[in-house]
Amino acid sequence: MIRRLMRVLTGSVAALSFATAAIAGPEVVSGPGVQPECFAPLAPETKFLKFPKKDGPYRIALANGFVGNTWRIQMIKTAKAYSEQADVAKDIKEFKVVSTGTDVAAQIAAIENFINSGYDAILTIAVNPTAFTPVIKKANKAGVVLVAFDNTFDSDEVIQVNENQFQIGVINGSWIRKNVPNGGKILEIRGLPGNSVDRDRHLGIRSVLEAADAPKYEIIEVVGNWDDGTAQKVAADAIAVHKKFDGVTVQGGSTGAVRALMDAGHPFVPVAGEAENGFRKLCAENADKGLICSSAGQSPGLVAIATKTAITALQGEVMPQFVSVPIPLVEHPDFKAGVNFFPDLTDNFFNSNDFPPCGVNILATDIMGKSETDN
Amino acid sequence: MSDWRYHFSHNLGTLTAVGLFVLMFGIYIGNHEAGLNPAVATTAANKAVLLALVAMAQTLPVLTRGLDLSVGMIFVMANCLASAIVVGTIGQGLAGCIAVLFMGLAAGFINGAIVVYGRLQPIITTLATGAIYYGIALWIRPSPGGDVQYDIADFVTGQLFGTVPTSLVVLLVVVLVIWIPYRSSVLGRGAYAVGSNEQAAYMSGVPVDRAKIAAYALGGLIAALGGLILTFNTYSGEASAAIGGTYTLNSIAAVVIGGTSLFGGWGSAIGSIFGAFVLRTIEDLLFVFDLPPLWQPLFQGVVLLVAISLGAIRVFRIRNRLELFT
Repeated sequence: MIRRLMRVLTGSVAALSFATAAIAGPEVVSGPGVQPECFAPLAPETKFLKFPKKDGPYRIALANGFVGNTWRIQMIKTAKAYSEQADVAKDIKEFKVVSTGTDVAAQIAAIENFINSGYDAILTIAVNPTAFTPVIKKANKAGVVLVAFDNTFDSDEVIQVNENQFQIGVINGSWIRKNVPNGGKILEIRGLPGNSVDRDRHLGIRSVLEAADAPKYEIIEVVGNWDDGTAQKVAADAIAVHKKFDGVTVQGGSTGAVRALMDAGHPFVPVAGEAENGFRKLCAENADKGLICSSAGQSPGLVAIATKTAITALQGEVMPQFVSVPIPLVEHPDFKAGVNFFPDLTDNFFNSNDFPPCGVNILATDIMGKSETDN
Repeated sequence: MSDWRYHFSHNLGTLTAVGLFVLMFGIYIGNHEAGLNPAVATTAANKAVLLALVAMAQTLPVLTRGLDLSVGMIFVMANCLASAIVVGTIGQGLAGCIAVLFMGLAAGFINGAIVVYGRLQPIITTLATGAIYYGIALWIRPSPGGDVQYDIADFVTGQLFGTVPTSLVVLLVVVLVIWIPYRSSVLGRGAYAVGSNEQAAYMSGVPVDRAKIAAYALGGLIAALGGLILTFNTYSGEASAAIGGTYTLNSIAAVVIGGTSLFGGWGSAIGSIFGAFVLRTIEDLLFVFDLPPLWQPLFQGVVLLVAISLGAIRVFRIRNRLELFT
């Protein structure tokens, strides 16, 4: 006990001493990394990192920021459900979740606190991509594996986990191009303005629909804030003005966008959207009437991949510095009730929770069965 | 009433906040697995000092029976400005720090001048100027980023002699150099007089206008210092409306926990500092208690309500409740 205390104490003092000292932390090695089918590097030039091997089971913390939308709540429930799966639980001694809200200073302090308390790995969704440089330095000095996912850091010194957002845009765009092959009028419903995810998906869609060899698409752009209510309203407005679209892409709030089509009596057209349960329900019901959908999403299940990444890094394996998680995608005619969408669950449930290349599959019933009182 | 009893009852609000903080921080450290070591203290201090400064900044207008809804935005604006100009050599960095503080002073002065000469309600005035300051922050830093002078930043967020968190020393210096002299100056005493009864203060020859302007201007200065220290904590700037709003609201909560009356004329910036410490410790308690993640906001809210109720303990000592509104 005393020895551990001393170790923590000296470790943290060292971590907080002046920045001029050499930065410890993971070793930069050459690839390829372990399990490349799951831990795929984002780009050919992505670095590979190797942490010193530690013996498990590990103490892992999740320093979440904002909590207050269904995605985040499902993410936290998924984290709990995954950490309790038998083959994962054996490597985890403790899994602790703290949400600090939108205050960047509070999230920094949360991560520092976990470092001070001697956690082996810390997962985080950064509230801001640039503010964590000092914390990254401290984590690396203390030998803590820091993994950022979803909203990642602008840094190449820690492991990050995300889906390739540009690629999701490409998937959306390709669906429209395949199903509206002769060109036409397309409604593009964007996400939250100013966000890198919104920007990257938009560029991905445009890279397909505005390619030199593409047929002529007239794209009408509206802002839906990734929210069902907003997406439904702006889609309804756009339909009122433009009368007829040949296809729709929607970054989030897909259920609302489809409902807008139905309310306006607009004929069903191909839609490329997110992975909400309500969207997939509507797609499955109305496929024969022309609502043919592609559903690819940013999964709250990313937290499970981030956990797996942290554990694998602690085991001393070589990891890509930026893990590009396979995008969970379901397209018409593969929508199957009880498999990739759930008629009994709420419309707000995010469906994409299995990542076969990683051996990660969290059942919807496990996630929703995690009542908030279970800890 | 004997001298010490007078002082005791006069500072009861502050003392309640201090007691509350000591109790909560004791619980926190008692359950922290690393105990109280310099690293744990520095983490807690760096976070707490930010809110403590914004709460101090809020206290000054509140004492004059005003309210400054722009403190959080001045804090954010200073953060963005600092991430652009506190760079280069140590000398250039320090010059940048002074420029940031001066900008905070100017922003506060504008608030005060509009309230006094424009004769507008402080709450509406600062709501509008706050939006302007946020606009300036967004203009300086449209997306998160920027840089800072690392030597100054690491010094301020590190420890003195390897033990005392430097940010706490900075806070102490602010108290000694700004608050205590201000409290005993004509303008400071004038602020209390204006907050108690503006007409009476005017009739007694208190410089009402200058006292108000000085309160807002000094508030702006202290809020900007907070923004500067945020920059040292993050090595970057971000024009975040969420952060501005959070700090503004929490600063008001800290003022109330610290025993300062929102009706003006009663209270102290020292109380607000400890009020801010209490708020921050409530957040920290989440680490040492294994609360289910989705219950955490509820827990924080309940503890906050209890803390604010204790901050309003003055109610119990008052013989006639009408006194509360004077």
